[in-house]
Amino acid sequence: MSEKAISVLKAVGNPNKARIVAHLAGHSGETAEDLGRHLSYPLPTVYKYLRELEAARIVRSEVKDKVRLYYSSDFKLEVSPRKLMEMFEEQSILNLYRSRFGEEGMRRFSEVARKVKAGNMTYRQAASTLGITYYEFVSLMDEAGAIQ
Amino acid sequence: MSRKLVVDSSVFIALSRRGTLEQYLKQKKDEGYEVLIPRAIARELLYDPKRLAEEISEKSPVLAKKIMQSVEAIDAAIGHGLIRVETVNYRKYSRVADNVRKHLSQLEAMKEHTVKKGDPEIIVLIIQLHDKFKERISVSTNDKGLLRTLRAFRNVVEYEVLNH
Repeated sequence: MSEKAISVLKAVGNPNKARIVAHLAGHSGETAEDLGRHLSYPLPTVYKYLRELEAARIVRSEVKDKVRLYYSSDFKLEVSPRKLMEMFEEQSILNLYRSRFGEEGMRRFSEVARKVKAGNMTYRQAASTLGITYYEFVSLMDEAGAIQ
Repeated sequence: MSRKLVVDSSVFIALSRRGTLEQYLKQKKDEGYEVLIPRAIARELLYDPKRLAEEISEKSPVLAKKIMQSVEAIDAAIGHGLIRVETVNYRKYSRVADNVRKHLSQLEAMKEHTVKKGDPEIIVLIIQLHDKFKERISVSTNDKGLLRTLRAFRNVVEYEVLNH
């Protein structure tokens, strides 16, 4: 899941911010004061939320006749247990390798790592056997706790 | 005169991932070592991980950033002269290089032409430095297979293995 999706989820995970986005979807081009009045939020809170929503690129603004107007940006977010797992799973070379080669790939890695630990294969030979770069192989070994 | 220390990429990659590369290199400098790598392994330290980071930047931005930080740390160390990139003289050491490739291919019963360039380059560099400076060369690597191959050349090179 991309960083953009994570920031969208974080933003709309807050009901107050989600209400601002929902309101702007139906009332495009409102000012912060309009939003505060319609949603009954204090103005400093509205500004704070709008800043965060703009940073997450969920809301955009433009100045017209010296007045800043706010609009909701288009986005689509698919949420599922699998997507959430991908989002919160630690980003590591091991996970990257697993997502590319699956459990069969993990089995091959274990087999190759055993040969490497025994000194029957060099790291470079192992990387070549697994079809990955040397950097990836060293990182895999490091993440697997096989490097001091 | 400084002692020569040939370090394999595996050590640099592991240290840079943990953020302790600079500390390691400064410590080695204080201990009087000059840290050297052959040209072929500079590529696997810089270009290959950079390409990987670019490939995964969309799907795994955090990981891509971490990889780039590791690349930048190694690049900066080379730029600051903490790691010296040395060229292997293949004209002079072609027979040694062939011999090293032969030994490496025997490790995993691989064909000689499939032996990756970094492995023979490190071993040939160690032999070349020993010939040139007539001193014991220090070696640091996590790779037991590489050390096993190097042991086959102990009659032509005096070396010691350093823990990192």
